[in-house]
Amino acid sequence: MILSSIEQAIGTELAGEDQGAARAAAAYSRSRYTMGRRGLLVVSWIAPVVLVVAWELLAQAGWLSPQVLPAPSKVVRTAFKLLLSGSLLNDLGVSMLRAAAGFAIGGGVGFALGTLVGFSRIAHALIDRSVQMVRAIPFLALVPLVIVWFGVGEAEKIFLVSLGVAFPIYINTTLGIRQVDPKLLELGRVQGLGTWQLIRRIILPGALPSILTGVRYSLATAWLALVVAETIGAQSGLGFLAMDAREFLRTDVIVLTIVIYALIGVAADSIARLLERRLLAWHPNYGDATR
Amino acid sequence: MTLHAIPIRTSPAVVVSGLRRSYGARTVIDKLDLRIERGEFVALLGESGCGKTTLLRALAGLDPIQSGRIDAPRRPAVVFQEHRLLPWENLWRNVSLGLDGDDARQRAAAALVEVGLGERLEDWPRNLSGGQAQRVALARALVQEPELLLLDEPFAALDALTRIRMHVLVKELVARHCPGVLLVTHDVDEAIALADRILVMREGAIASEHRAGNRGGAAANRAKLLLELGVLTGQQAV
Repeated sequence: MILSSIEQAIGTELAGEDQGAARAAAAYSRSRYTMGRRGLLVVSWIAPVVLVVAWELLAQAGWLSPQVLPAPSKVVRTAFKLLLSGSLLNDLGVSMLRAAAGFAIGGGVGFALGTLVGFSRIAHALIDRSVQMVRAIPFLALVPLVIVWFGVGEAEKIFLVSLGVAFPIYINTTLGIRQVDPKLLELGRVQGLGTWQLIRRIILPGALPSILTGVRYSLATAWLALVVAETIGAQSGLGFLAMDAREFLRTDVIVLTIVIYALIGVAADSIARLLERRLLAWHPNYGDATR
Repeated sequence: MTLHAIPIRTSPAVVVSGLRRSYGARTVIDKLDLRIERGEFVALLGESGCGKTTLLRALAGLDPIQSGRIDAPRRPAVVFQEHRLLPWENLWRNVSLGLDGDDARQRAAAALVEVGLGERLEDWPRNLSGGQAQRVALARALVQEPELLLLDEPFAALDALTRIRMHVLVKELVARHCPGVLLVTHDVDEAIALADRILVMREGAIASEHRAGNRGGAAANRAKLLLELGVLTGQQAV
């Protein structure tokens, strides 16, 4: 009698446990279901938002000196003020122009040399070793020399950006051309393509994924080179804005320029990604080409 | 197996005489003579390394000739074992590779219709199955209107059923376009199914020649070929 009641008790307890586990499992699977991708997206934003809010609260409470880190709201207000006065857009424009000029020059030189070396064994023998040797220098180490050559001016900044851009483009162009499937080149010959047709329809498209990787990488280097060049000395541009603000301990302006640099970096990367998706629609790793 | 009448043409698709090719000390092709008429389907059988692919590459103009002559009226078209479609071009552009003129798209489209892919002109190669891709490769070769069509084991990577479908299609297309065909293959049954004439190559030379429709039919032909290729011994063949 007693035994059986104990047994019963254990039985119900076990059953209870089982039920609990089942409920937990159901809850788990339900939470996984409702969480989905959007839920995870929301979760991923929790930490950054909490950080900014904490920063704001600490600054408001006076725990953070405005000279160390101004409140985010203060940075936003400064951004509006500078936008309205027109000076922010002006400096931003100057910086973008420098980056674009440097990118065009460096990218052009890198692509031209890369193509030449990719196609010609003689050009490879002549040029590649020297380029690889120069590439071993971290290009920012050349800054003092570049200043001696060009002084502190537009030429120096554009030169530095071009230098940063040329190498990644060069390397990836050469690599891309060399990696074109020799079987496809053979096919081109069998189909009777001339040299120009072979380049246009087989070699360049085949090298494009690699070239675009170079473009994406070099966008980051271009931006880095620009920040360094503008921080060293400038009469206009974002870097000038930051250095000028430093003189007056305007940390709000400094933080603003840092944020803008970051935003432009992100924008440049998305443009490069968009290019990849468009130009490499055929490629299984990039495009989403279905019928 | 039905007997194929070989169409009589004034000009052969290709004439090879005294072809020799060696890599270093190793002679891969030695004093080889071959003549393929237009409209004639020739299969080339042989073990790996007997020189049959080397011969095909020489005919395609992919390897330089060391000595001997290859006389072909025009550049031959080739279908390789892999489809070799350009992944960055859609189907009609792939097929029109090497075509000049304003009607390139029309001609490519017509060729794709012939291989049963007329609905997919704008599709990408990566959306095709192996058999479909090989059909596009066939269209790309035939759109050139070649007088000599070289097939380098084009069906070897396909599954058995797809291969049979391809055999039917190839036969049909060859009958319509009438090029001379040289099919390099390992597959005795494939050679028997498709060819008017079967050549067995050994050590860089053509060891024997068989015509389709011999006395005894396909089975006898098959046994004889397997015997020659060293797959069967004499007793097994009997």
